[in-house]
Amino acid sequence: MKRLAPALALVLCAAIPALADKVATPIPIGIAVGQTSNVALFGQEQVNGAKIAEERLNAAGGVNGTKITLVFQDTAGDEAGAVNAFQNLINRDKVVAIIGPTLSQQAFAANPIAERAKTPVVGPSNTAKGVPEIGEFIGRISAPMTQVAPYSVKQAMKLNPDIKRVAVLYAQNDAFSSSETVTFQDAVKNLGLETVTVQKFQTTDNDFTTQVTAVLGAKADLVIISGLAADSGNLVKQLRQLGYKGLIVGGNGLNSPNMFPVCGALCSDILVAQAYSPATVDKNPVNKDFATAFEAAYKKGPAQFSAQAYTAVQVVTEALAKIEKETGKKIADFELAELREMLNKSLRTGSYMTPIGEISIQPSGEVEQKDFYVSKIVMNPDGKTGSFVLVSE
Amino acid sequence: MSGFFENYGFLIVTIVQQALLGLSIYFPLMAGQLSLASIGFYSLGGYVAAIMGTHPYFAPWRAALGFFMFPLEWLFALILGVVLGIAVGYPALRLRGIYLALATIAFVQVVNVAVLNMPVAGGAVGIFGIPQAFESRLDYIWFFGPLFALAMFVVYRITAIGRGLAFFAVREDELAAGAMGVRTTANKVTAFVLGCALAAVTGAMSAPFLNTWNARQGTFDASVTCLAYVLIGGSRSLWGPLFGAALLVSLPEVLRPLKDSRMILNGVVLVAVCVYLPQGLMGGLAALRTRLAAGRGGVA
Repeated sequence: MKRLAPALALVLCAAIPALADKVATPIPIGIAVGQTSNVALFGQEQVNGAKIAEERLNAAGGVNGTKITLVFQDTAGDEAGAVNAFQNLINRDKVVAIIGPTLSQQAFAANPIAERAKTPVVGPSNTAKGVPEIGEFIGRISAPMTQVAPYSVKQAMKLNPDIKRVAVLYAQNDAFSSSETVTFQDAVKNLGLETVTVQKFQTTDNDFTTQVTAVLGAKADLVIISGLAADSGNLVKQLRQLGYKGLIVGGNGLNSPNMFPVCGALCSDILVAQAYSPATVDKNPVNKDFATAFEAAYKKGPAQFSAQAYTAVQVVTEALAKIEKETGKKIADFELAELREMLNKSLRTGSYMTPIGEISIQPSGEVEQKDFYVSKIVMNPDGKTGSFVLVSE
Repeated sequence: MSGFFENYGFLIVTIVQQALLGLSIYFPLMAGQLSLASIGFYSLGGYVAAIMGTHPYFAPWRAALGFFMFPLEWLFALILGVVLGIAVGYPALRLRGIYLALATIAFVQVVNVAVLNMPVAGGAVGIFGIPQAFESRLDYIWFFGPLFALAMFVVYRITAIGRGLAFFAVREDELAAGAMGVRTTANKVTAFVLGCALAAVTGAMSAPFLNTWNARQGTFDASVTCLAYVLIGGSRSLWGPLFGAALLVSLPEVLRPLKDSRMILNGVVLVAVCVYLPQGLMGGLAALRTRLAAGRGGVA
């Protein structure tokens, strides 16, 4: 017993401070995205968007005068990295909420860790089915493309009413694309069109001759592509080079200027389904503020991943402000564990006016986004740069 | 202290888990065969556990067995690993050197594309919501720890009996070993299958540990990483895979405070090990010990 007592005391000492943690000032919000590895292209866009959010929201007073601070932990591209980043944010950085991870597969690995630690998670870019269902502390602001997909196909039918035969292509090793294609295929069926061929490719592919030959052989007059920027760019290029003349509808993965250098002038006229459009600045003052600050800081227009990361930070900050308003107590006076639970509830009440339009988070954690956009790619005469021009209103 | 384990429990278990993958490559290397197939078996083992843990077909099994469902998953993965290991091993091990490595890379690709096209494996999203054996990540050491001890014991014992000597004979000179009456094919396949079985069981344990399983677990990149554990750790020592995995897995986490530049330092350390310790960490340690002993012994 004598030997046991100091050991017990040590355990108690270690345990007690963990229970009585107060919320730090400035209020720490965790950002766990892939800043390195092969998802860094997305992760860096998310970091850029989140940094603008920190700057703009703090300039506007933060949480009723208390500033927020973002704590970045790199998840890299794998599941283990996401778990490690989450552990650090929850236990060491003691954040009030976590924004991340970048990929849905990482969310399935890391979100249960946050769920067990009762720390709210806001997914800025997870779109796979099943993510909000991981637990009651898991939510997201990135919508699955169930609403915009049929809309973009309808836009194509408006441009060419004779469309009958549809070819669907998707990247089968990409979680987002393989979920999105199901939505597209349902939309095609519901609109009374005929799916003449479904072709798969990998995001790492360069040569799409097999797929293009199948599309041409099936005499398709509409091609729908769900993939990422580089592979889809090459696919479009080869479709056009081998003589496909019809319309092309691209999924949300093609909503990236990174595609322009790949297919060059041949990118023209692709219809792209978007969850965010920088072209809405006239109607949406929040987006105008965000887009202006973003362009000033990075000398380029914001991409969807940046806008969604900004939105996630904004949603958490506004939810914190709501708690202060309702309880009349400053955030710094709360105990961390208590605040995390209250924040989780607060996130799911009311709606938010964000750069991606008006959104709300349902009690299940799923996002409800009001507006989606369909744009047409217009390439500049130099064949290297271009822009997305809104066609939906 | 409890905070340390809360934060790094996952990392500690990951080191042991990855060391097991390193060991699965070490087995065929004992017989001189460079095989990258391990990660394919790891992926398949994980799918066995993930499917048995989540598919409605197995619901009555799970209800009846409770916690013992996990050992049953390992057993199924083990059987799959052995059967498929023999099926792949016999034709593949007729190839030598770089051609064997190429054939095993092809096997990894085949597994990857196959699981992406099997509806039961969940496509690119994979399988999620896998039932958990333990609340804390650190507790998973009760899965991987004993398996690692067992694997190390097997390696240690095997080097002391005829079978291990036969492996080494094949490694040093296959023709000479054959001429001496060593059954080279049987020995190569045995070493290969041991590695496959170990990788499959490790995969079956990893699916609940990671909460989710998908095709990204079994990529070419992952198999090269596993090979790196053995090469950095030392390909001729049974402790090599453990030290290699410990270094490669923990380095990015130890360097986490450096933010973005951590990957640069990570790379620098790896290059330094490759250049200055061509025999790996364990090889370097052995060389150091001989030098120290020589220094103490004077002219001896």
